[in-house]
This record gives sequence, structure tokens and C-alpha cells, in this order.
Amino acid sequence: MSGAADRPALAGMVVIENAKGVAASYAGRLLALMGATVIKLEAPAEGDPLRREVPQVHESFATSAIFAYLNVNKSSVTLDLAKKEGQQLLGELLDRASIFIDDTHPSERSDLRIAPERICAQRPDLIYVSVLPFGAAGMHKDYHAYELNAFHSGGEGYLMPNGLALEMFPDRPPVKVYGHFAELNGGTSAVCATLAALMTDVGGQFVDVSVQDANVALSCFALQQLGEGVLENRHGRSFKYGGVLECADGYVQILTLEQHQWEGLVKLMGEPEWALDRALRDSLERSRRGAHINKHLRAWAKSQMVEDLVKRGQALSVPLAKYFEPADILASAQTRERAMFAKLQMTGLGEVPVLVAPFQSSAPETLKGCSKQPGADNPRIFCEWLGHSPSELERWTSVGAI
Amino acid sequence: MNKEGARSMKKPLQGIRIADFTVHAAGPFCTHLLALLGAECIKVESYKRLDVFRKPHPVYGRMEAATFAQVAANKLSIQINLKEPRGVELAKRVVSVSDVMCESFRPGVMERLGLGYEALKAIKQDIIMLSVSACGQTGPERGHAGYAPLFGATGGLGTLTGYADGPPVELRHVMDHSTGLNAAAATLAALVRKKRTGLGQHVDLAAREVAASFIGDALLQFGASGKSPQRQGNDASMMAPHNVYPCVGKDAWVSIAVGNDKEWRALATTLGRADWLSDPGFADARKRWENRQALDTAVAAWTRCHSREDVTRMLQAVGVAAFPSYTAQDIADDPHLNERGAIQSLTGPEGASRKVVGPPWRFSRTPGKLETWMPEMGEHNEYVFGELLGLSTAEIETLVRDKVIY
Repeated sequence: MSGAADRPALAGMVVIENAKGVAASYAGRLLALMGATVIKLEAPAEGDPLRREVPQVHESFATSAIFAYLNVNKSSVTLDLAKKEGQQLLGELLDRASIFIDDTHPSERSDLRIAPERICAQRPDLIYVSVLPFGAAGMHKDYHAYELNAFHSGGEGYLMPNGLALEMFPDRPPVKVYGHFAELNGGTSAVCATLAALMTDVGGQFVDVSVQDANVALSCFALQQLGEGVLENRHGRSFKYGGVLECADGYVQILTLEQHQWEGLVKLMGEPEWALDRALRDSLERSRRGAHINKHLRAWAKSQMVEDLVKRGQALSVPLAKYFEPADILASAQTRERAMFAKLQMTGLGEVPVLVAPFQSSAPETLKGCSKQPGADNPRIFCEWLGHSPSELERWTSVGAI
Repeated sequence: MNKEGARSMKKPLQGIRIADFTVHAAGPFCTHLLALLGAECIKVESYKRLDVFRKPHPVYGRMEAATFAQVAANKLSIQINLKEPRGVELAKRVVSVSDVMCESFRPGVMERLGLGYEALKAIKQDIIMLSVSACGQTGPERGHAGYAPLFGATGGLGTLTGYADGPPVELRHVMDHSTGLNAAAATLAALVRKKRTGLGQHVDLAAREVAASFIGDALLQFGASGKSPQRQGNDASMMAPHNVYPCVGKDAWVSIAVGNDKEWRALATTLGRADWLSDPGFADARKRWENRQALDTAVAAWTRCHSREDVTRMLQAVGVAAFPSYTAQDIADDPHLNERGAIQSLTGPEGASRKVVGPPWRFSRTPGKLETWMPEMGEHNEYVFGELLGLSTAEIETLVRDKVIY
């Protein structure tokens, strides 16, 4: 086992990622952080459509922020799977791979010769991970979805927002979570499935991952309530008191589930007379008088400074936190001590901090390289690794196969 | 072979045993996923430290327990009182016959109990330990208390979520469960590594770092340019229409998103608005985005005359992304989700069938499955303490009498 202590989980494994969407691309990112060699396939010339998604990393830098975030630690090759040369090269890549991640629309897979039944028959030891908004099977498999639709298909969309935002704008449409929440969860779900497949002793198999399924699982609370006869909605599930509070210089979140936390909050507020009402010692009564408590809480919070409030609150074991802006996260001592970010060289921008991983372990995940131009690794992968000649590379380039 | 493996077809984690000391939502959701994959998950509970989610919480406005049944299905339950020294010894014995130990105490508590990673490694050299906490096992804020809305706040995700002219929005159980999903991925990676190297490890999962991972693009943008996205409601840069629109029915909504010119032409044609195609205000993605409020008004006027299902059917037929804003009832009834096994029926203790979430994956050769309803407290004491640990009936009775098994 000499030298194994620092060896990441997937060292030596090759993953071929054929992804145009966030979910599959994020799965590739996490597998790369776990040590796999991830080779990303992109369309010749134009590359992954996510390269053009705004906003950019920097207004004078062409790469999109989401693309740059998703595509660390990967190699990029270009392949046109509609051409037979492209299909042949994919076959050669898959011959050396353990895992194939694909998010091609189910209706297009046969024409591109990447239908699961075909690939799995040719390579029974390969783990083929299909990552689609509604999965590869079922009556909605051909449905199209962007993040907004995927989020609403999982149940949480209907329930957002709650609390203060809902009170301020009760008649507005539900609001989504920032960014690509549903799709990123779909990607993490795909990673779970991929790793689980590696734990079996059956060799390869087809794994059908659905972004909707992942988000339905995350929303299981609402299904539990339904089973108990309660159909949750935005208004019904707001916390009866607490939640988002506006302070003098920003926002905090407060949630007192336990009796001692409520008592800590009363102390934090300086034990005002209204809070010392004996009836409010009972949690049920507090729930009934939620609007009354909120009126006082919100008035009090307006005079408080966020940093001071959080410090004093946490000292009293009151669950209280600042709503951090990105600047706060990057500057936080907690962030620095835990080395949440690694600095990567980005062309034209120098060193840029990039969030490493959503978990840390004694076999640490490391960031090694930022995203590259489409096909930046064509010579290394096709010539050095697969053994093709530079003249073949030129010929494939001339016919648009790579 | 564990009990689960003996009575079902092979699952991916068959033969893996988890000693689960987690409570609340994030940790139990992680072990729930691992149990769906076939791991034998032994939930360690005690009347001295009841799982927060076995208890009612009036702040939620209800007196029933929260998600406990959903995330405790497929698990075994044993009772160990960790406030008793003999309870700690019993816990160590459970760990000694396990592959993974999961916990979600405040950082430092496991060490104080004598159940820290180094202590467990001395008992079982290749143990995988997962620690789930609000801020992580290290750092000046490691002791901060936290629930999902607080992780969402400190991770920045709640800050960037909300209407452009409104306050941040608190994130609820999906934030806990996203944390659990990431914990499951990290634990599975540790299991694969152990399979390949024979080595265990300690996985340190901070919920606020999971929340931050959802805004990795915004953090990168800020780090590179000093600029950050702001709260933007349902807007997505350069996409319009991109919103949630009212339909026929009370509180009935449909999400519609148009990402390119082809989809725009299909939408305009389906809505009977061929005039939009020659309108210079909607000539390209940028123009449509600049005029998105006018578009939203027009699209909403159309959707108000149709059901969510009809809008979805009409638009999906021409390649436009549309889907109803699903309620829990919609999810329970959805034939697609039921066909996929993402929703399953399970018989509860009262004999009635309940809809529950099933595995969110379909494996062609090693399918996961939800098989058993949530266990009663201590339902599997006899199996674990007797069969697995080899304690005699008299020894177990003594531990029960002394409130060690409690």
C-alpha cells in the first residue's frame, strides 16, 4: 500500500464526458476532483454551448463563468459524432475508459451510434451513465427542460419563496433558487450512481439518471406531509416566526427549533417585556402568536448590526447566520482556514480563486487546471494516447470530424 | 451477508454496513440514499437523544414529526445511550462490525465521547468516518449551530435567491437534503477508494460549503472581476421568455423557458403570434431579454386560458421547454415518476399504502429499492446486539435494565 495514502478514489480511471448540459458536466467535474482522468468531448469549432452562457468570468474574457466552474481538471477533445470518423474515435476512447457520461437527447442517440443498448453490448464492462432532465425511460423522456423547468418538475419550485419574501410579494409567481440548483443536484446524483456502479462486481451496466428524480428525492418532505393529509404550499410552510430578518446593514437568518434556542434569543434581545410573557414559554403558543413575535423581532433587528448580532447570538447558541455575499465568502476566516478555494491561472486574468469541492477528506480533492479551448488536447489524446499520426489528425480536421 | 442482501436481488452496496449516528435531515438523507443502494444502515438512537425529526416542531406550524419516515425507511434501528460509558463501548463494538460510521454531532463532540476518527481507527483500521456539520470540523466557526436556512445564508445561495427588489430567501429541506446528497457522493468515493486501496478515511462535510458549491460560478466571477450576480427572480441572462406563468386553476403555474431562436419561433407560432417574428423588439435573444417584461405579460395572458398540462403538451410538442410547477400531489400521481420507481408505494405500520420517494436512479443490472417502512425505535436491538455482536440475552437484558440500551 506504499503511496496509497494520498491516492484519490478514482486515480487511473478514464471517464469520457459527452455533455452539453450542466448536470452531466458537473458530474464530470466531481469525478475529476476524485482523481479520474476526464476527457470532455466537444463539437468541432463551436465547442460546448455552455461556453457561451452569460455572464462571463470577466467582461473582457470570453469564457462563461458556469463553463469555467464546471470544467476544471478536464481534458478537451473535439469530435463530430455525426461523422463516421468521429464515431470510430469515440469507440477507441471508450475502449480505454471505465465510465461514459452522456446527456444526448434520447431521440438522437441511435443516429450518433451511442444508443445504450449498442454501447453496452460492445463494452459490457463499461458504466454508461445517462444524465437527462427526465431520464432515458418513461413517458416524459423526450421532454425538453432548462434549469427552470427541471426545478419546477421536482416540487420545490412550487414552494418558493416563503417567509419575508412571500409576505412582501404574495401575488408573484414562485421564484427559483439561484443558478443551476436542480441541475447541479442532478449531477451529484449521477456521481452517486456512478460510484455505486463501481462498487458492484457485475462489471459495466447502464445507469439512467434523471434530474427530476434527484430533485423529487430532495423534496421528500412535501411527500411526507401529503401522506399525512397536508398538501404544502408557499404560505403554509413559512416558519411561524423568525426566518429572514433585515438588520441595519444587511440580512440575517434565524431559526429557533429548540426551547433553549428560544431562551437564548430572548436573552439576545435583552429580555424585552413582550418576550417575557409567560405564555411564550410554550412552543405551541409561540407558533400561534408567530405574527406578533415577528412584528417585534423585525423591529428589533432593524437596529442591529449583522456581524455583532451573529457573534453575540452564536455565543448564546442561537442559530443565527449572516446572509453572505460572494465577497464575504471569499474573505471569511473560515473559508481561508479550510482552503475552500484554490488559485488557478486563467489566461489574461492571472490567478483566480476557484471553489474546489463541496466536501473535504483525508485523501484531499485537488484543483489542477482550468478549462481550455475546445480540442486543446486533441494531439495529446489522439496521437500520444491513442497512437494516431499527426497526418491522420490533419485529415480528420479537414473533414470536420475533430 | 447482511439481512437486506439475503432477501433481495443484488444491490450496488450489498454487504456494506453503516453505523448511522446522524440526526435531523442532512445526515439521515445521506444514509437513506446509501440504504436505497443496498447498504445495511443501522440507525443508532436513544430516548436520551431523540432524533430531532422524530419530534414535532411547532415552529413549522404542525405537530407531526417532520421527514423522519421518508429518510428512515430501509434502515434498522437500535438504541444506545451515549451518555453512559458502557453505551460508548457498545457504540464502538457496532463500529467494529461496520464499514462506514456517519455522525452529525457538533464538531468536537465525538472526540469528547471517545468516538473520534483516531479512536475509531484504533478499533477498525479501515473505517470510513463521515462527519456532517454546519461549518466543518476545522476553522474558527466550526462550533456554529446551523440548520438548512442558515447553511443557505452562509453559503451565499440564499443571498442570491429571491426577487430582484426583495430580500434574500430562506432555503428549506432541499438544502439539508442537497447536503446529504453530497455527503453520499463523498462517502461512496471513500468506499470506492477503500475497495481499490484498502484504506479508510475521514470525510469532513460542511453544509455551508455545499451551499457555496451551488454558486461556484458567481464566486468565480467575483474572484476574477470583483462583480457578482445579484438576486434576479426567475430571470436567466439572455433567455426570454423565462418565467413561471399562471394557468387555469387555483395557484396553478407552468414554467416556460426559451433558449434559442428556433424555440422562440416555435413558441410564437404555437401562441398564434406570428407577428412577434417580425417585431424588431424581439428580433434576437438580447432584444427579447431587454423586453422580457412585455413578453411575460403576453405569455401570461395566453397561459391563463389553458391548463398547465395543455400548455406543457402544446409547447413540448414543438420543442419548447415547458413543465407544470409540480405540487407534492402532482409528484405522487405522476405516471412517469411512478413508472421509473422514483415514486413508490409502501405499506405503513397502520396498514395503509403511502407514496414515498424511491431511488432516483435506474441501474440495468443492480437496481436499488425501497423495501421497508421506517423502523420502530430499537426494533433491531436483538439482531444487532445479539446476532452481530454476539451478546447473550442476559447481557442485553442487563444493558436494557441499566438504560445503556435505552
